[in-house]
Amino acid sequence: MSLPLVGIIANPASGRDIRRLVAHGTVFDNNEKTAIVRRVLLGLEAVGIRRVAYMPEHDFGILPRALSELHGHSLQLEAFPLEMPVLGTSADSTRAAQLLAELEAGCIITLGGDGTNRVVAKGCGTVPLVPISTGTNNVFPTFLEGTVAGIAAGLVARGCVGKGTLQRAPRLEVLVNGVPIDSALVDVVISEQPFVGTRAIWDLSTVREVVLSRVAPATIGLSALGGALLNTTADTNEHTGMHIVLGNGGREVMAALAPGLIKWVQVRESRSLLVDASVQFRPGAGTVALDGEREIELTMNSVVEVRLCADGPFVVNVPAALEEAARAGHFQR
Amino acid sequence: MAIQNVGSSIQPLDTSLLLRLYEQMETIRQFEEQAGKEFAAGKIPGFVHLYAGEEAVAVGVCAHLTDEDFITSHHRGHGHCIAKGVDIREMVAELLGREAGSCRGKGGSMHIADVHKGMLGANGIVGGGYPLAVGAGLTARANGKGQVAVCFFGDGASNQGTFHEGLNLAGIWKLPVVFVAENNGYAETTPVTYHMSCRDIADRAAGYGMPGITVDGLDVLAVYEAAGEAIVRARRGEGPSLVECKTYRYYGHFEGDTTTYRTKDELAFYRGRDPILGLRRFMVDRTLATEQDLDAINQRVQERIADAWQFAEASPLPAPEETLTDVYVKYP
Repeated sequence: MSLPLVGIIANPASGRDIRRLVAHGTVFDNNEKTAIVRRVLLGLEAVGIRRVAYMPEHDFGILPRALSELHGHSLQLEAFPLEMPVLGTSADSTRAAQLLAELEAGCIITLGGDGTNRVVAKGCGTVPLVPISTGTNNVFPTFLEGTVAGIAAGLVARGCVGKGTLQRAPRLEVLVNGVPIDSALVDVVISEQPFVGTRAIWDLSTVREVVLSRVAPATIGLSALGGALLNTTADTNEHTGMHIVLGNGGREVMAALAPGLIKWVQVRESRSLLVDASVQFRPGAGTVALDGEREIELTMNSVVEVRLCADGPFVVNVPAALEEAARAGHFQR
Repeated sequence: MAIQNVGSSIQPLDTSLLLRLYEQMETIRQFEEQAGKEFAAGKIPGFVHLYAGEEAVAVGVCAHLTDEDFITSHHRGHGHCIAKGVDIREMVAELLGREAGSCRGKGGSMHIADVHKGMLGANGIVGGGYPLAVGAGLTARANGKGQVAVCFFGDGASNQGTFHEGLNLAGIWKLPVVFVAENNGYAETTPVTYHMSCRDIADRAAGYGMPGITVDGLDVLAVYEAAGEAIVRARRGEGPSLVECKTYRYYGHFEGDTTTYRTKDELAFYRGRDPILGLRRFMVDRTLATEQDLDAINQRVQERIADAWQFAEASPLPAPEETLTDVYVKYP
């Protein structure tokens, strides 16, 4: 039986889109990502991980830089790049996740925002994720200390903690003219903006409808809209999504649409969305934004369907995993 | 057909504006391709550094500017001049060192300027534009008319000391300056992976207390959107920002450069993402224009370029006794 393998997908492009100009998004530079990965590697090493595979990228080299500054640590861990062509696009993250699934990695650590994790989720299959937030709007990933993320991922990959510490996230499947095109982890937005442009969605004057995979008030981005619509009888079951139609004639809700960008938004109507339920749109020319970024340009006759699915990626509940490992004595000798 | 607003506060992208962006990009492309041919034929003295491939940056940014706004440029400045409205007849004459040139033939390719258009000059000094743009930004703020200054610079220039001086000063004085990094992947022949300690020039903005963003510089609509927000922000008095446009130049650092430092596959990859063809597809797919409409624009541009060359070649060289006129500013 081969040694447990942990994958690392660190997106060098995350955390520098237009929301630094139009909102107050944090800049996550790649030197900081390198420092986080360095701490991740030390965490993995500490819990006995000896094999790490990572997504190669040709323009910065987060992993090689992180490794080069760990020479003084006499690492037993061996890290190697995945054998794949580097396109310099989001497809690299999906391909890396596919390869890690084929290699039967025990866990994948991601560095990025919702967008990065969306494309990783398209390839990772059932390999659990430890998503570290280095993006703009971060509903799916969380702000995690790299050391802790490394320890948790290592314990999961070695099978030291049970599957009860994993949670399966929902996803939203997007079909255009009946053909599955893409999927989102958090939100799908139908925008009147007819081009992808700078990708980000921050101006709701061009947004008509929003579909959410989850309703959570303590989030940022379009998902915050759903949280603001919670009432006393609704629950926040993770498998219940929401369909929101913007416009006059309903309620006005306050939502944090981007970092530091808090707006009152007119909501004409909303309804909860159960697993396997879908919503259909005939938006005319416009774009579909996935997890806050315009991705799909539509033609006048496009029919868009968004379906809430329960089969999203598995995500490690890091506090739960560490608590279980502690109770099992993994941190004592 | 009108297209909805992009962002919250910038001019909507309607069909006429899209067609104007297309025509400007096509003008830059044809201007540069003709300049390349004429240089190879030995007609242009000195060097030329062609902007072909990077058109979306100059055009997407300058679409938000008026003659009252300022830009500073660099050695690869033809595109900025055209996008800012400098007369292409005078530009060609300047390339040829003729009297009718925008600088009376004494500047050449790397020093085209037209202060009446707010074009403060191409610049042969790498990193020479920052202090000029900051000075223009100070003027803009003193004038109090909502003017802005835009500083175009390359990835290599982002390693110069003037980068630090310029951005720091703009940062502490909160000047209305937008620093537009044209990251085409190479400082002359050296790849950014070697010459920069970070991957994105935008990362450096944080050190000067200004926002920094990265945008696809091959997509004129993305550049338009990002630059528009940065320029509106500057006009509102909210200070400077850094917009990094990831782009690519189709030709060498200078004409004659054999580009042995990059592969044919790399060039083909970027040619496949051509900014002009991208906008053309966008408009045709959405029936905002027909192929015939756009072909007619290309033809019109071709005629303008031919006319500019005819005009310039008919212009005399400056007389020897004028060698020192128009060179130094006379102070009262």
